[in-house]
Amino acid sequence: MEITVNKPLAETFGWLQTGAKRIDLQDKIQNISYVLGPGESRVLFLEDPGASEYEITLGEGARLDMVQLREASGKDLSYNNVRVTCGDKAYFGWYRVVLGGAESYDNCSVNLAGRESSFTANVCYRLDGTEKYDLNCEAIHTGKRTESAISASGVLADKASKLMRGTIDFRTGCSGSVGNETEDVLLLSEEVRNQSVPVILCSEEDVVGNHGASIGRPDEDMLFYMETRGVDEETACEMLARAKIDSVIRKIPDASIQEKIRARVQRGE
Amino acid sequence: MLEFRLRSLDIFAKTEMPNWGPSIEGLNMDNIVTYVRPNTERMHTDWNDVPEDIKNTFERLGIPQSERESLAGVGAQYDSELVYHNVRKEVAEQGVIYTDLESALRGEYADMIRFHFMKLVPPEDHKFAALHGAVWSGGSFVYVPPGADVEIPLQSYFRLNAPGAGQFEHTLIIVDKGARLHFIEGCSAPKYNVANLHAGCVELFVGEDATLRYSTIENWSKNMYNLNTKRAKVEKGGKIEWVSGSFGSHVSYLYPMSVLAGKGARCEFTGVTFAGAGQNLDTGCKVVHNAPDTSSYVNTRSISKSGGISTFRSAVVVSSKAHGSKSSVSCESLMLDSESRSDTIPAMDIRTNKADVGHEAKIGRISDEAVFYLMSRGLSEEEAKALIVSGFAENVSKELPLEYAVEMNNLIRIEMKGAIG
Repeated sequence: MEITVNKPLAETFGWLQTGAKRIDLQDKIQNISYVLGPGESRVLFLEDPGASEYEITLGEGARLDMVQLREASGKDLSYNNVRVTCGDKAYFGWYRVVLGGAESYDNCSVNLAGRESSFTANVCYRLDGTEKYDLNCEAIHTGKRTESAISASGVLADKASKLMRGTIDFRTGCSGSVGNETEDVLLLSEEVRNQSVPVILCSEEDVVGNHGASIGRPDEDMLFYMETRGVDEETACEMLARAKIDSVIRKIPDASIQEKIRARVQRGE
Repeated sequence: MLEFRLRSLDIFAKTEMPNWGPSIEGLNMDNIVTYVRPNTERMHTDWNDVPEDIKNTFERLGIPQSERESLAGVGAQYDSELVYHNVRKEVAEQGVIYTDLESALRGEYADMIRFHFMKLVPPEDHKFAALHGAVWSGGSFVYVPPGADVEIPLQSYFRLNAPGAGQFEHTLIIVDKGARLHFIEGCSAPKYNVANLHAGCVELFVGEDATLRYSTIENWSKNMYNLNTKRAKVEKGGKIEWVSGSFGSHVSYLYPMSVLAGKGARCEFTGVTFAGAGQNLDTGCKVVHNAPDTSSYVNTRSISKSGGISTFRSAVVVSSKAHGSKSSVSCESLMLDSESRSDTIPAMDIRTNKADVGHEAKIGRISDEAVFYLMSRGLSEEEAKALIVSGFAENVSKELPLEYAVEMNNLIRIEMKGAIG
């Protein structure tokens, strides 16, 4: 894998939530590019440096799993911009765990340019207090028979707010492609704010795109069942929140990274 | 009213063109005639009195025939004025008022109209709402008194016949406590080489425990810019049902909005949009849950063919007051070729944890197996595809009275002609 540290891009922050001023990070951003040659395979574990941009190029058949953790005790502001171009049969997996932080801005944009390239995004977050999370995730299908699966699940408590824009973009010529997006948000307080904009753009006939979202409170029947088993509502909600985070951690293809993140989750509790 | 019109004109001049949807660069407002008087002295209540040329147009559209067979009342607008209005005796005897808005403004319901007119859609809402406030003409006023149940539908039909003209009719419907109404709106125009504009406005007030179904089959000509605004406010226990078929227009911006203002208010939106060659139809809906125990169900289908662009755009807002509310949005899109485009842009803004919101969207193509099966049963490929598309749009057709469902399926069949190759 070739790693280069570059000059930061003149990022426009166009995808940031309105009101999130042009954050004064321009000269603090570290811009790193990763190039994986044909057939290479890596798992990367990255913790937020505060502001970072990643330019990733995956050669034919290359495979990169990128795990990014945002800890509750991290810097107030996190800016994380990941841009990926996939060659033929390349795969990019993005695992994003956000355990808190005053303001977090994430962008993950993947161009599935190569034939049969694929992308999965697994995002989980747990926010409370007045924490804000702004997430933009897009899968751009340009190559034939490409696949994407974007999945986000999280928990909002207190006055936390979250905005997720997920886009599956089927460009002309990407015949045989499939894109799926799911979102599952658990709301634990009357003062939370959840905004979701799941977008499917399509200019190719021979594709299949699906999106499903479920947003709301914990299921009352389930809470009742838990209470009959001696688990109060607060504990039940805590278990649900932990389960959502763990459902993403379990998918990380490296047991040592899984353990590291679980330890951070417990430390943050 | 003059003061209101001038204020609206001022807002229109100061408001920017929308920059977020389909291009409306081809619409030169300096070329749009905002008022075209039809060739008749007054509005008629007897079909035989309507001037021959206007009568022939509506006869070809089947309006008087529908009135005889399946409607409780009809209003027919030709260019900027209503030329015919009639309501069945038994419906009038229930106290139902169905008349043109301009004469109602001078009658016993004038205060009621002034109280409601452009309150749901104020001129500040957007540029073309302001234009509507400034130049509106024609349109209908319906009042259904408490408890009245209008069993058969009322219909307004809008025909824009003049080239380069705009139609700015205003529809105001008030369904009082416990009453029930089905209102049907139809629109068409011949095709010219110059742009036409439709910037109508529909304001619907649904009282406590009342139900209003508002159905539209829109078949404007393919040179029309359809920038219409529709909005409903629903009180406690009331229900608004939108049934919407969008087939015509060159460009559409159409998002009927429902404000669920009373406890237990409900909204159902069922829509189909068919975008063919040269069409860019941006349609959808908006629902605001602003009271406890409200519910909304949105179910739409979009079809794109021969380079047509269809965009489904929706917004569901659940305010902090809407405890116990539920919303479900489902949209499906069908791409008939790779020249076309179909986008789905739904937004959800949830501000309480005491609500359940679900959304699902699908996009795909006609299954080759289904076409093959139908062809093995003797249908041509064109017929097979038309049948499948009609089935895809069934969510709307099954909600329409039979005559209108047949009309809608005919429109689909016409649009599907030449879909092969």
